[in-house]
Amino acid sequence: MIPKFVEMRRVDEASGPIQLSTIFRVGGDTLALLTDTQNNRTLLSEVPQRLGEEIGLLLKGEEASPGAPIDLDTGSKVEGFGVFTFGYGPVTSGVPEAGGFKLVTYGERVVKVIPQVNFKKRGVERAVVGSKPDDALLLVERSAGNFSASYSTCFVTAVEDALGLEAPSQARWTRAAAVELERIYNHLYVFGRLSEAASQNVATAQTNALRESVLRLNAKHFGHRYLFGLNRVGGVRPDLSKDGRKALLESIRSITREFAELVDYFLTSRIFLDRLQGTAKLAKNDALSLGAVGPCARGSGVEWDDRLTYPIEPYQDIFVNIETDRGEDTMARTMVRLREIQTSAVVLSELLDKMPSDGAAARQSSESGKDRGKFSFCRTESPSGDLIHVVQLDDQGRVSRLHVRPASLVNWLPFARSLEGNVFTDFQFAFESYGLSFADSDR
Amino acid sequence: MPKVWILRGVKKGILTSGFPKAKPTAEEIPQTSAPPTATDRSDWAEGERLCPTGAIKDGRATERAVDLGRCVYCRRCTGAGFEFAGPEVRGTAALQASVKSGLEARRRGFRRSLHILMIDVGSCNACNLEVLNLSNPYYDLTRLGIFFTNSPKHADALVVVGALNAAMVDALKRTYESMPGPKFVISVGACAISGGVFQKTEGFVSPVGDAVPVDVVIPGCPPTPIQVLEGLLLAMGRLEKRPAAREVASQP
Repeated sequence: MIPKFVEMRRVDEASGPIQLSTIFRVGGDTLALLTDTQNNRTLLSEVPQRLGEEIGLLLKGEEASPGAPIDLDTGSKVEGFGVFTFGYGPVTSGVPEAGGFKLVTYGERVVKVIPQVNFKKRGVERAVVGSKPDDALLLVERSAGNFSASYSTCFVTAVEDALGLEAPSQARWTRAAAVELERIYNHLYVFGRLSEAASQNVATAQTNALRESVLRLNAKHFGHRYLFGLNRVGGVRPDLSKDGRKALLESIRSITREFAELVDYFLTSRIFLDRLQGTAKLAKNDALSLGAVGPCARGSGVEWDDRLTYPIEPYQDIFVNIETDRGEDTMARTMVRLREIQTSAVVLSELLDKMPSDGAAARQSSESGKDRGKFSFCRTESPSGDLIHVVQLDDQGRVSRLHVRPASLVNWLPFARSLEGNVFTDFQFAFESYGLSFADSDR
Repeated sequence: MPKVWILRGVKKGILTSGFPKAKPTAEEIPQTSAPPTATDRSDWAEGERLCPTGAIKDGRATERAVDLGRCVYCRRCTGAGFEFAGPEVRGTAALQASVKSGLEARRRGFRRSLHILMIDVGSCNACNLEVLNLSNPYYDLTRLGIFFTNSPKHADALVVVGALNAAMVDALKRTYESMPGPKFVISVGACAISGGVFQKTEGFVSPVGDAVPVDVVIPGCPPTPIQVLEGLLLAMGRLEKRPAAREVASQP
């Protein structure tokens, strides 16, 4: 009854601020991602027995069974006068996806919420076994359509590492630019949903209009509105010209400038802020112990961003500001996202400005170098947080194992914890502020 | 200067697309969302080999076909001489949606207004977002009398997205059954129509059409909002009189 991974974070004052370990059970093997805070890098290794025992966080739920509850296996039951449980989903109006929740309540406040996943488990990880990485990409990038660039970049980088293949710098920079664009439109989506939940019609319409302009930019410069078909092993498809980069930069600047004005309006809109402030608080300790990632963790004051903690080219050469907030509530998470839109625009302008021009096309793979059969991995900061791919290739260079740890999957528990004790009408705000996607966690 | 939302809204002006009175622009249907078509140079055997979802079928000249319901627009067949671009392609084959027979009688009452319910049965979220995008100011589907509804009891049409998952078959059937008649079903995206890239995954059961009767299909991966809108209008029977709207404006 144990899922394929367990995640644990510890605050260790001696060795560094945060230590994050992810334990994978890939087939029969147990592997751990350990953060080496001394040298500031991440390692993939066999799991030490002691560490395995230390981890008290076991998630219930059989793998791939539809409606699997995401809950801590504490054994305690919620009981009391008038307490009842009602099911919400998988066909809901509030969430435009197939997924459900069990809400435990006595009528006004949410006592407990148990997310139910796997209503649309497609099983991408198993389906790609035995296919060439380039064919696997088609499935991987469609695991979660709105995080497609993060997914394909993460997968391709891991595969290139396994093959000992160096992608041209321009390709890597183009990927990073696509991931930043993806972050911008996803954060805009979250803000749009929040304003919709607060019935702020002008804010909703204008944010959605801005998001549409970003999607059109994606189509114009990267060939697809949702960035499908961006990557191939060893390179990228779009070859951004100098003029194209300049035009893209101009458009992004005008979009973020316009959004900054909207934020000014938002920050003076008392009726809007009231719905967010103090809603669904996630204490920093909970964020750490439950393993929250991405803007949700940063909204609780956890300084973790894969662009800095696991920098792949080009992030070593780019200044990225981690946006954190100590507010711990929905407002804090929203503010983190709003500021990240501006940060991403700054990163994007640096990326497009300094992008090398050594070609976007794939290079031939060098057969020497890495030994096949080794696990290689990559982590990417997707719009919802830390995304991990662990890949193993066989002798012919086909995928023999793939494991994906999506951000949404680990964020369900923090979401459920933070909603405890809140009133029903805050559900939408809490849910949207986490940026959770069932497609992402069900893949 | 006080910050008044409504003044800001007015200041922004009108963004809404001219569709369906005007042709969709190249921005609204980007080149790569236009359907692939065969040219004189097309090598069908090679196309069939390259296509990951079996959309291209080789054979004798009469059997050869590009099945748009399976196409995921991965652009691999460009290696075999198939084309995505070209204004002439975009002009003639822009209309990708198709209506199955038997809809005429049922849709009579929906010519002016339609309430749609979207149901996700296993999508990657891209089709969901494109359908939801219809309510943004660029497309604004309420101007055409089309509204999203949250309950199957209020819905006239069911918009299905995603590759039908085993866990969602029952939910889909029950949603369909609780809709009052007359009603129809629109399946959006390659996954809903044929399974798309998920044809061989363990979660996939069958095309949506095998579980509930589908009347209109809108191919794409994902279809752009304009293509979805086109399909909705076609289902309502509002596009036949306006052939101009069925062509895409050629690139500027």
